[in-house]
Amino acid sequence: MLLNGVVLAVNYALIALGITLIFSIMNILNFAHGQMFMIGGFVVYYLYGLFGVNYFASLVAVVAVLGVIGWCFEKFFFQRMRKMATREENSMLLAVGTALLLENLALSFFGEKQRGVPPVVSGVFKIGDAFLPAGRLLVMVLALVLIVGLLLFVQYTKLGRALRALAQDREVTYLMGVNVDRIAALGFALGAALAGLAGGLLMTVFGINSGVGTVYSIKAFIMIMIGGAGIVPGAILGAVVLGFAEAIGYALLPGSITYLLIFVGLIVFLLFRPQGLMGKPWG
Amino acid sequence: MDQATDNRCPATAGEAGGSLFSWQALGFTGFLLLVFVGVPVTFGRLPYFITVLTNAAVLSFISLGVWITFSIGRMNLAQGAFALVGGYVTAILATRYGISFWVCLPLSGLVSAVLGALIGWPMLRLKGVYFAMTTLSLTEAIRLLALNGGDVTKGATGIVNVPPPGTIWIFGRMVVPPFSSADPMPYYFLAAGMLALGLVAVWRLSNSRLGWVFRSLRQNEDLATSIGINVAKYRVMAFSLCCFMAGTGGAFFVAFQQNIYPSTYTVADSVNFLLYCFLGGLDYLFGPIVGAFLLVISFELLHAIQDYQALIYGALMIFCMLCLPNGILSLRLRRFDGRRNPKA
Amino acid sequence: MPILEVQGITKRYGGLIAVNNVSFSVEKGEIVAVIGPNGAGKSTLFKLVSSFVPPTSGKVVYNGQTITGLPPHEVARRGLVRTFQETTIFKEMTALQNVIVAHHLRCSASSLGIYFASPKARADEVSFRDRATEILDYLGLGAVKRLQARNLPHGHLRALGIAIAMAAEPKLLLLDEPFAGMNLEETDAAVEMVRGIRERGVTVVLVEHDMSAVMRISDKIIVLNFGLKIAEGAPAEIQRNDAVVEAYLGRPDDELGH
Repeated sequence: MLLNGVVLAVNYALIALGITLIFSIMNILNFAHGQMFMIGGFVVYYLYGLFGVNYFASLVAVVAVLGVIGWCFEKFFFQRMRKMATREENSMLLAVGTALLLENLALSFFGEKQRGVPPVVSGVFKIGDAFLPAGRLLVMVLALVLIVGLLLFVQYTKLGRALRALAQDREVTYLMGVNVDRIAALGFALGAALAGLAGGLLMTVFGINSGVGTVYSIKAFIMIMIGGAGIVPGAILGAVVLGFAEAIGYALLPGSITYLLIFVGLIVFLLFRPQGLMGKPWG
Repeated sequence: MDQATDNRCPATAGEAGGSLFSWQALGFTGFLLLVFVGVPVTFGRLPYFITVLTNAAVLSFISLGVWITFSIGRMNLAQGAFALVGGYVTAILATRYGISFWVCLPLSGLVSAVLGALIGWPMLRLKGVYFAMTTLSLTEAIRLLALNGGDVTKGATGIVNVPPPGTIWIFGRMVVPPFSSADPMPYYFLAAGMLALGLVAVWRLSNSRLGWVFRSLRQNEDLATSIGINVAKYRVMAFSLCCFMAGTGGAFFVAFQQNIYPSTYTVADSVNFLLYCFLGGLDYLFGPIVGAFLLVISFELLHAIQDYQALIYGALMIFCMLCLPNGILSLRLRRFDGRRNPKA
Repeated sequence: MPILEVQGITKRYGGLIAVNNVSFSVEKGEIVAVIGPNGAGKSTLFKLVSSFVPPTSGKVVYNGQTITGLPPHEVARRGLVRTFQETTIFKEMTALQNVIVAHHLRCSASSLGIYFASPKARADEVSFRDRATEILDYLGLGAVKRLQARNLPHGHLRALGIAIAMAAEPKLLLLDEPFAGMNLEETDAAVEMVRGIRERGVTVVLVEHDMSAVMRISDKIIVLNFGLKIAEGAPAEIQRNDAVVEAYLGRPDDELGH
């Protein structure tokens, strides 16, 4: 049960980091994050599951596909929106629109069926008294590697520094001679790719269908609300809290009651700490 | 209508301009004529089309609620949740206790409004995307609640065979004949009546000083607080009004369709209510109505594309945001100060 | 009895002490200025007094009543009204509508009464309109009252901010940097405006950077540095105070660095 919590938490962290990246850089809440997750899952389903492409190569394809989608979204939708400088609601609704679009495109192309893939690795590990299927372990390790890689990337590379600068102050970054539009598009692509990777990883465990987008978007929102929006450690913390809450809940309670309790808990939590665990108080 | 002219809030007189007002009054009168005379005469023999119009009318009634929350500066994605609550209240009361629909209708609104006030009080402290995220989660939470409601909500099987609205007797006279599921006309009149009442109520709200207080919240809550406005009270007031409209709308649909399931209102429905408001134009009271009628009717007319309805909604939403950010009505009433300041 | 007494007020943000055990009092009819270098805790003190943030310890007594812990709108209701540092106004209303809305506190009709335009509500609205016009004329905004607030020139915006606060009929008005970013001429006009407000029987507490204006206008000056009160007294005393000169006046770049 706790091991499941770890597996979930690590993958959720990937989702939460992606949405945090986009949120902190562009101040856009990516409502389509769950749909991107779902598309990542389907890419793996088709390449690895149907056409027998190597699993890791499929994951690379996921990065490419989602990267392009994210890049296009930023380039053609959000960048235009920012230049028009209308009210905040507009960019939010634009994001909702992209979510609706992706979800229904997926529904048209992929159908409604639940899809799964054969396990990537077989075997079971015994840790203490608990059994951990190798597939889950692989997913966990890959996600961990990706998270560490991402954090190092953002911390130490030139592009990563530009992203952080952009998150802190758009004006100043612009004045420093950074091509803000390009970096923002790359940031969006990166965030989308992270969502897709999480989808590609988790679908080997849970499978995927066109309807899961909203569910995962909501999970992503819950995580960043727990941790504090736009804050990297907050995103990870939120993922840990949600991952374990879910794993424990599913083990002890019938299916959807877990989520009901999580929602209730969240609303009560926000009553006391509207800025999340690690967020700064506003104003 | 002359009476209403006198009632105009001094705050709006002169500023809003008499011309805008009379345009609104004219529009409303025309609207009433169209709805209560024009439509029944023209389409009276086309029950299918009457059904479509009934749908559009109540959907725009519910969207009007969302429009109110927009006026206090919140993007409300929980409207589906409260419509579901209202629907279940009516379904449960009508099937289990045999309570008349005419009692259930306002009661459902009331239950939704009270629930909205309770949940809204903490939730409305959140702003912008935070509020949007939480309300979105709430829509999902209420759906789950209905799914897990055991015997009360009957879970995924939903509540079916809800009786249609019955007769109203006043002093032994039959004022409203019983509804029958075979004839959509009475439902249409009820829906049109609800919409007309809702329009008048919200129009009055937005032109009274309450509307100004609401708008002051949207523009700057801190400043509103500093001049002694009890911000929390007014946002809860606006939100529960919004929930009331969702609740009555949900109750209507239960009586109209005679059933309700946890999936009757999902996140997608909450999003649609927003879309109607935006498509019509957030600055205009008629915005949600124009948006809802336009979308609902065009989709009913174009059967061929119905399978792709949600897809087209998504594309339309993006198009609307990029090319028509102030809604369809802004085309007619484009202001002359053309350029809008950033983040205004 | 002083109209405002701040007693040992302290605000911590995590490990940081923004305001440390500050006490002072303000008599009715005074103009009191709070000055200090950037980061001295002026803004925090301002928010503490107007109850926009709760203190970690200490209390604020206004008109003999402790107002600490009251919600800010309740504090405003009692006559302690603040303005904002930046040009905070209702941007999508005209100047006149801004000030009419700001009369909310004087409203005697209930919400339902407003909704159904009861005679009381209508009388309210007529009087709000008259009073708003009067305030705008008084503050020199009469000519621009029908302009959308967001289109007003910068100098007028701050006056509008004060007009909004005045509409709430303050007994004690807190002004947050009323002279910031003004040239000499504008400052002179603003100084006159603040004096005029005092003449209307309103006690004024202001937080300010602009030393010369503060020296001219204040009856009493309170100097903060690193969250501590380092001096209090009449302008002439403050100018001679060594601690103040060292902390603030001795470093001219502070005056520039907003």
